[in-house]
Formats: sequence, structure tokens, C-alpha cells
Amino acid sequence: MSRIVDVLVVGSGMAGLVAALTAASQGKKVRMLTTGMGSLAISGGNIDLLGYVDGKYVPDPWAGMALLPAGHPYRLMGQENVRAALNFFQHHMASQQWGMHPAASWDGQARNVHTPTIMGTLKPTYLLPEKVNVDALTSARRVLVLSVEGLRDCRPALVVSQLRRYKAWADREFLQMTVPSPLGEAHRSASALDLARLIDRPQSRQWLIEALAAHAGSCDLVLLPPLCGSKAQPENWQTIENAAGCPVVEMLSIPPGVGGLRLRDALLRALRDHDFEMVENAKVLRAETSDKACTALVAEASGQERRHEAKTFVLATGGILGGGLELAPGKIRESVMGLDIAAPADVEQWASPDLFGKHFFASAGVCVDNTMRPVDSQSAARWSNVFFAGRSLGGYDYAAEKSGHGVAVATGWQAGRMAAAASEE
Amino acid sequence: MLETTVVIIGGGATGTGTLRDLSMRGIPAILLEQGGIAHGTSSRFHGLLHSGARYVVNDNESARECIEENMIVRRIGRQCVEQTEGFFALTPQDDPSYVEKFIDGCRTAGIDAQEIEVAEALRLEPHLSPEVRRVFRVPDSCVDGFRLVLHNAMSAQRYGGRMFTYHEATGITLRNGQVCGVTAVNRHTGETVEIACQCVVNAAGSWSGHIAGMAGLDVSLSPDRGTLIVFNHRFTSRVINRLHPSGDGDIFVPHGSITILGTTSAATDKPDDTTPTTEEVLRLLDIGEPLFPQVHQYRILRAFAGTRPLYTPGGTSGRKASRNFHIVDHADEGLEGMVSIFGGKLTTYRLMAERVADRVCAKLGQCVPCKTADEPLVHDVDEATLKRAARFFPMQGLHLMADRLGDDLPGVLELAEKQPNNPLLCECEMVSMAEIEYVARQPAIFSLTDIRLRTRLGMGTCQGAFCSLRTVGALTEHGVQLELTPTDNVRRFLQERWGGLRFALWGMQAREMELSRAIYASTLNLDGAEHEQDC
Repeated sequence: MSRIVDVLVVGSGMAGLVAALTAASQGKKVRMLTTGMGSLAISGGNIDLLGYVDGKYVPDPWAGMALLPAGHPYRLMGQENVRAALNFFQHHMASQQWGMHPAASWDGQARNVHTPTIMGTLKPTYLLPEKVNVDALTSARRVLVLSVEGLRDCRPALVVSQLRRYKAWADREFLQMTVPSPLGEAHRSASALDLARLIDRPQSRQWLIEALAAHAGSCDLVLLPPLCGSKAQPENWQTIENAAGCPVVEMLSIPPGVGGLRLRDALLRALRDHDFEMVENAKVLRAETSDKACTALVAEASGQERRHEAKTFVLATGGILGGGLELAPGKIRESVMGLDIAAPADVEQWASPDLFGKHFFASAGVCVDNTMRPVDSQSAARWSNVFFAGRSLGGYDYAAEKSGHGVAVATGWQAGRMAAAASEE
Repeated sequence: MLETTVVIIGGGATGTGTLRDLSMRGIPAILLEQGGIAHGTSSRFHGLLHSGARYVVNDNESARECIEENMIVRRIGRQCVEQTEGFFALTPQDDPSYVEKFIDGCRTAGIDAQEIEVAEALRLEPHLSPEVRRVFRVPDSCVDGFRLVLHNAMSAQRYGGRMFTYHEATGITLRNGQVCGVTAVNRHTGETVEIACQCVVNAAGSWSGHIAGMAGLDVSLSPDRGTLIVFNHRFTSRVINRLHPSGDGDIFVPHGSITILGTTSAATDKPDDTTPTTEEVLRLLDIGEPLFPQVHQYRILRAFAGTRPLYTPGGTSGRKASRNFHIVDHADEGLEGMVSIFGGKLTTYRLMAERVADRVCAKLGQCVPCKTADEPLVHDVDEATLKRAARFFPMQGLHLMADRLGDDLPGVLELAEKQPNNPLLCECEMVSMAEIEYVARQPAIFSLTDIRLRTRLGMGTCQGAFCSLRTVGALTEHGVQLELTPTDNVRRFLQERWGGLRFALWGMQAREMELSRAIYASTLNLDGAEHEQDC
């Protein structure tokens, strides 16, 4: 394993996997270092592209991009590149039988769709699995909201009471059902992931099929927590819809991110066809750099330090949550290259008093040029072969904008493409 | 118009202690509190039940009161007190000549302060700095201020005392220089309530200057703001004090699974000025470092602040102002029927209540002795009840829950028995469905925040990220209506938690906060959801 790879990717969240797939599909040797699953472990499995700009809802994310500030990753890359990135992503997901598509269109223009959550709120999102019949969300009159006993985070009564507050849902007819847990009395609380793993296996999904069959024909939409399998297997969904006799839509749910694991499953499958290897539980300790380039990353895995040499490096280490950005009193630091992020010394200026307000910390991150190379204060690239992608980038607030996976796919693709090109130099 | 004999203004430890005292003496009384119980200072301190050793050099009389009351509160409030004992540790930064004065002072005040070997102290408290020079053990303890107030209220209610929470006193009615009533506004309904009475007790803590002002009096009361830090884990078994004259940030107090470091001292003109600052948080960490060298690396859960009601007739302020309490009978200023209590400490709340009640009784011409030191605040739970409860509550949380609930335990147990299961909704603090539902159904509970103050829901590591959603879901399922819609309730709950997080937004806690934003903004769209309702 001492070979020098073309592209070394750090991080296996959405940005890292897309970067790896982009470079690998161009025939590059790619190695990935990971310490977890990143954003995909908490993801709902849809691609949010852009839902809000400055707190205002944008029905068409493509039109909304024009309203974004110049330093936003979408603006840096340019809209055509963002489109190309999404096309690339959709192409590979389709090749793994887990097609993702824009669910709603209006005048032929793709736009956001409002998806129900386990809290009974609606969230705008952009790409959904093709398996999900989103038209049913708007056309259904009789809606069955189903959960499973022991799933403490998903209560049909809450979903129904809150959905009724939305104009489009107010006059629909709701049925509520909580089915007994197939896990029985467990020592710990069951999560949707536990149930989704049961659905993965044909011999252990009968409980759900029977529960739905009892209501088959009584409604025209079933909403349930994300339990239709932990793998990107369309037949799981098909079986469940057949039992329900109507479209089935999963509500967006809190971690564990079952939907995100499906995306991960499909992306890793796609990577299997290429010259790709993954080193898990590898914590990057430091970077070795010369004046204008990075030569290697030193990582610790299983208690041993190892140098990973590469021609180029893509850092998709995540933000504050993923550990790509480290916050200390008065200081914000990027964790692998040790880049200092310009931040006010006074921590009180990092955050607004309103939890969902406009926060400095929320869009703090690495400044890059349009090739995703980090730049210094004179806008010159710091290193010729280091590229950033995903939440470690500055200039956007994924949570307020609902743009998390969208930026990850776009910048992952751009960083992977640029790294692949740079590895030839 | 309601009628009673005494109206008490202020639902902190002193106010509820006074309600309990008067009720036990058979004197009808109503208590008014502008927020939920312990809305003010009694829930915004470090939770130390002073041995008095902190005061032995400067104010030996206060120290003596502390040690006497400390022993009483341990006895009557067993469920609110963790008998940890405390250390006073001399660090290289402290003046060694203070030690003699400390030893003398403890002897004078009757506080049992025993010096122990540094090596032994380090064995008992391994995180303590190995640099400490001398260590004394004293009978400090930890007290849950919120629970203490709640249990006093329960005891008072058993004797007929009445409490109106979320009622803000807005006027004191006088006739011929004599108090004859109090007007209050119900903060939830906006209704005005008038209560006829013969006597008013002003126990409003930092707001007591304002209350006295309503009766046309001018008193020297300076609210003094103190900031405290809550650490995510418990790194001491005991209370740890710096052995030096009282100063900022020199006391570490363990509570359950967390540790509180306090406090700062800064004058303020607003009694509700309870916003901490990052500068204070960093200063506290610096001051705490000689006792715990790793303190800068410990994960901070949140910072909070409270105001001390310092009584400052001579113009002193801050640390110099006495921590003693003062009872003022305003008859001396020509206003008959109003008694104020200023200053004091939570540790001596019962004594303060006793003295006020004595004065009120004298005014009413009643001569009934005080009994509050003899009877426990809430009944001890018998073995049979505990055994019953063990079938519905996780074993490791059983005693925690029984201590927390006091008189409410039988009601919670009954509810649990009626339901097929009783899942934990808050895992950090081990709060179960039955407990939450029982509390939520009480008339004085309006929001998730009220439930938090009664049960500790959302006070642990996740700061509400998981349990708030679970709780509104379960309550909706069980048909319990709160004042706000479930989503608005969660939003307000998280906002309240955010108020304590954002001043220490770094390290692991910043990651926890970002997870919370990932869940509620990115996934559940709680921030944007309102705009969507027209969709």
C-alpha cells in the first residue's frame, strides 16, 4: 500500500464520496481516509439544493442561486458546473438502481418539493429517490400516518396535528396507526435503522407487510418513518408499496439517517468498479507540505501512524460537527492543514441571540477559488494540489439554506475533477 | 376579590419558605410569583449548601448561621441535598497567612474544619491540582435549589398555603397608611387579580426594591450579577473551594452528573440581567485553573447568570456587601402591614423565613411557634411504594425520580400503572413518560420549559436536541395540550437552551450545538416551517 495514489480523499460524507467517484471515474487511483460516515450518517437521503436565501423561500433553486452572495460555493463554481455536478451524481445513482430525480416540475422547470418530517413540518428539498411517488404528496386525500411502537421520535398524533396547520394539508383526512414493534421489548429503544435492517431481509419484513395489508385500499398515501431498508434496494420499497396498495413516502427523520445510508450504499457500490480503496478509522494527524504543495498526510489507524503520499488531496472533512473545523475561544481552525479561519476574537460576535438567526459561525470556513483550492488573503492558491469540498468550505449556511447535500455534491464533484486534472501535471 | 391574611410576593426559597412557615402556623397566606417557581435567584446559583467556612474570616455571624441551617436543611430537605462535604484548598497563588485566620474563624463559628494530608486529598479528588499546599475538609454540601423551592411549596400546600405562579404583583393597596391588599396580573391570561389582606411580605429577592417602590418606599438594594459555568461531567466528588478571601470563580460544586463553577460579581441595575458574557466565562476558567489544571479542556455545557439581591444601606457593593439578611418592618417608615426581607443566602432561607414569619405573627398578634426546622419538607417514600415503582421506572433512575417528585410520586406511579409502558424520554436525566405527563397536566405548567424546571428534562448533554421532540410527540399522542403548538414549544425551548450555549461556543459543545442545528434547521425545517404554512 505504499504506492503514491493520484487522489487522496479525506472524509466519507457526501462531498468525499462524490469527489472520490468523480476522480475515480476519470481513471485515477483514489484512496479515502475516514473516521466515520460524516453527513450521511445523519442524512434523510434527499438532496437539498437550495430552499431559502436570506430566510426567504425560493421555489426554484436554480433561480435562487442568482440571489446568493458572491462567495457562496455555488456562485464560485458557477451554475453550469453545479448542474453538471448534479447530472454526474444522478447518472451514477441511476446506474446503481437508486435513481434520484427532481420530484416536482412546473412549466417544465424543476423545482423544490415540500416533504413531510416526523415533526409534522414540511421541508423543501430537491432530488428524491425515483421510488418515491411525490405526486401523492399533493394529490392524496386520505393519508395514513404510521409509526412503530417504541419509536419514540415518531408519533403519528404529532405529525397529524402539525401537518394540519399547513394550508395544503388542512382539509385532508388522516388515519393514524402505531403498529407493534417486531423487535418486542428490547433492552434499548429501537431506532428507525433497527427496523430498516429488518426490511433489508425478505424473511424479516412480514410484520410491516401484514400491518399495511390490513389497511390496503383504505387510503391513497402512507407516511412512515424511514424504515424501508438501509440499503439502496428498490425492491424493498416496491414490496412495501404493494402491501399498502398506494404510494408510500418516508418522513424526514432525525439521526440515525437511514436515507443517508442508502445514498452511501449506492455511492460505495459505484466506487467498487474503480481503482478505489478506503482506509477506515484513520484519523489524520498532520500534513507534510513543501512550499507550494502538500506531499503527504500522516494518519493514525489502529494505533499506528502511517504516511499517505499522493499527487493531490481532497479534504472533505466536514464542518464543526464533522470535525473539519475546530472552534476554540476566539479561534477557528481548519483541522488538517491547520488553516486559520478569520474570525472575530470576541466569541459573542460569532452567534446571534436568535438560535435560527444569521450566525457568523454558521458560514465560517475555508476560503477557496473556483477550483476549490484554499486561498490566502491575496486570493492566491496556498497549495497547488490541495482542494476542499463540503461543509469545511466557508460562505454558506447549509442549515438555514437547506443546501447541505447540494453543496456537498457540487463542490465534491468540482474538487474531484480539479484534483484529477492536477494529478496529471 | 380573594381574601387572605398574608400575601407573600416572590416564589423563591425565601418566599415559599415563608409560605410554608406561616401555613404550618395556621395563618392563611397566598404567594405570588411572576414566573414559574424559583424563576429568579433560587435557581440561578451554584447550588452550594454552605458550611459557612467561606465566610468565617469576613463575617463570622453569617458563618455560624450557615452551619446551623446547613444541618437543618440536610435533615428536613434530604431529597434536595447531596451530602458531599467540601474541601478548602490552598494553591500556590493563595496567601498562606490566611490559613490561620481561617482555622480560627471556623473554630469560632463552630464549623468542623479538619486538615487532611495533600496526598489523601489527591487520592479522594484525583483531578485536583497536585500543586495544592494544604487542604481542609468542611461540611459543605450540594443543594438543588429548584427542588428545595418546589418541596417547600408542596409542604406549604399540604398546610393550606396557596401559590399563584405567573402572577406579577402590580400594586399594593393602602388605606390610611395601612396595607389592605395586593393587585396582580396573570401573565398568561392578562387578567387582574385583587387580593385583600392584612399584611404583605416582600420576599422578591432582586426585585424587592421594585416591590417596595410600589408601596412608595425607597430602599438601597443593588442587584449584583454573577455568571456561572456548567461543565458536562462531574470531575469532583466534593465541593472544592479556594482557600482564600472570597473572590470570583473560586468554588466548584458537583451536581448529579455535572459540575458548576462560580461565580463572578458585577453590579447591574436590572434584576433580570441574567445574560452571561464570554469574557466572564473565560475569566472563570482562568481563575479555576489553579485548582483544576485541565479546566480549560473540560467541555462546557452552558453558562448562566443570576442576580444577588445585595442590601446596601451604607453604599457598599459587590464582594464587600454583606451576605447577611435584613428584615425591615416598614411600620418604622409609617407604612403599617408590610415587611421586607433583603439580602441573605439560599443556605439560610429557612431561618430568614422563620424570622419574617415571627415578625408577621407579632404584627397580627398571633403567638404560634415556628415548626419548620422539625418536619421534613416531603414525606419519605416507603419501601412498598419504591418496590411498586421499580416495575415502571429504570432501576438506576428510581431514587433520583423519587427524590425529585416528593409528594407527586403517588400520582406519577398511578399514571405509569395505567399505561402499557413507561419509556424514558430524557435519557441524560432519566425522566420517564409518566413523570412528564403527570407534570404537564398540572395547571401551573404551560410549556416545555416549565416541564424542564420540574423534571430536569433537557438539562443534560443533549440540551434538548432529542428529548424536546420526543416529549412534544408523546404529549400530543396522550392528548396533553400545552399553551403553544408543539413546534412553537420546541422552538422556544431550544431558544432558551441556546441562551446558555452561545457564550461558550467552542470545543465539543459547539459540535453538539451544530448537531442540534442539523436536526432542527436542516432536517426538520423548524426555522422555515412558518413560511411554509401557506403552501
